[in-house]
Amino acid sequence: MGLPKKIKKYLPLVPEKVGFQRREQLLEYIQEDGTYLPKGVEHSDLDRGMLDFVRDELKVVVDGKIIPPVDLIITTQNWAQFTQTWKFEDLNGNPNPPFITTVRQPEVKYGSTPSLQYTIPNRRQFYYAKVPTWDGQRKGVDVYKIPQPVPVDITYNVKIICNRMRELNEFNKIILQKFSSRQAYTFIKGHYIPVILNNISDESVLDIDKRKFYIQNYEFLMMGFLMDEDEFEVSPGISRALTMFEVSTRTTNRKAESYPPSPNEFELDIKFIGNNTETNELLSYTANLTVTRTVNIDSYSVYINNNYVGDDISKIQINTNDLLKINVVKTNPSSDAVIYTTAKLL
Amino acid sequence: MTPRKVPITRLNKFFAEEDFALEIAMGQEWLNGDMNFTLVLYSVDQQRTIKDDVYGEVSSNGVQFKAPVEFRASVRIEEPANNFLGGSRIVQNEPGNLVFSVYENELETLSVNIKLGDYIGYMINESEVKYYSVVNAAQPNYDNKHTYGGYKSFYFTYIATPVSTDEFNGI
Repeated sequence: MGLPKKIKKYLPLVPEKVGFQRREQLLEYIQEDGTYLPKGVEHSDLDRGMLDFVRDELKVVVDGKIIPPVDLIITTQNWAQFTQTWKFEDLNGNPNPPFITTVRQPEVKYGSTPSLQYTIPNRRQFYYAKVPTWDGQRKGVDVYKIPQPVPVDITYNVKIICNRMRELNEFNKIILQKFSSRQAYTFIKGHYIPVILNNISDESVLDIDKRKFYIQNYEFLMMGFLMDEDEFEVSPGISRALTMFEVSTRTTNRKAESYPPSPNEFELDIKFIGNNTETNELLSYTANLTVTRTVNIDSYSVYINNNYVGDDISKIQINTNDLLKINVVKTNPSSDAVIYTTAKLL
Repeated sequence: MTPRKVPITRLNKFFAEEDFALEIAMGQEWLNGDMNFTLVLYSVDQQRTIKDDVYGEVSSNGVQFKAPVEFRASVRIEEPANNFLGGSRIVQNEPGNLVFSVYENELETLSVNIKLGDYIGYMINESEVKYYSVVNAAQPNYDNKHTYGGYKSFYFTYIATPVSTDEFNGI
């Protein structure tokens, strides 16, 4: 009689993790007993995982006796079969039913796992972990990278060879219960790998003039993946940054922009205010003064350093620290007069 | 406990254990003394051979053997077959199997048991040895052919297939 749902058949001593803690636990399984990198998964690991699955998850007990599985994928080395089957051999050395064997189809096809199919080209490496390092002087990190795993589909035929229908039934019941949700999982190096029940067929030998026994074949598809440890990459991360920049090697200064601008040619107006008819000017530069026009001036005389130069000359050449003296005769003596000149610095 | 033994009484009007022993002794005299076909048994040492736990395989030259034992047998090497190597389109002359029959007496005297997977060496000329792997361990051998007129069995017939030198090349 079945128990009501509220009655627990056993009390879990270690509470099961859920949510984020469970995800962390799954990650820890992958790294358990190893480096910070996941452990590699190869063909032989997947085969071992399938054998473990058959041995542990599909264990059949009939009349108090376990139907022994051949815990080996039989290959061409015949003596290996001998060593595996001697526990249930008859006196002639032939294996004695009932027993269970696992046969792998040798060809391993590209996997049909949807999450891994042709998504990343060219074996690109992906960041997996950052591991702190200390070389005695400097702290740093190693960056661990791994490529995307390669999906594989492996087909296994698990066969039960027996003499009684009761044994067939028991094995069949266990398998159908296990695969009632289409798939079951085997645990390989920290990874849960799905196994799908594809087909059930019968290969029993029931000829009238031969020894009779049942063989039922259960075809399973393991949707695994390969991770080659040789492809993992560990590279040192950045521990010190050296910044370099380039500057010009020219040593001359850039010409400063003058303000206000000092052109080498400017207007110079010489004014005679009121009754004034003479002006003396000490010039601190060397220039040519060109008289452009005059206002209220009849004539003028030019002296440099008190030396007479000429009257009404249109161009006056002066040197630095020359004393320029100009006497004018105004047209209207009471008004202001102006000599407009342009000084060009030399 | 010693297994119970029941004396064989069939054919007892004209044939008995003494006659059987005489016939075997004469046959062995002919096979060992006159014919003298010699084979060498390289018996795989199951205890010392380290195997992997998935395929039960060992690396090249990893199989450990017991001391080789020479024994005599009636030998037949089957004809080679010219065919493709699987589906590879590479033609090869596949050597024929080695079929050899040994007196039970001979193996009992030498205290050996030829098992599935053991290797057999056979000198095909003065300088060349060919090796074979046992694929049919000759059990059971109580069929009429292997008995003396139905009295009881007295020899084994083994079948061994040729092996390439990268699998086994003597020790």
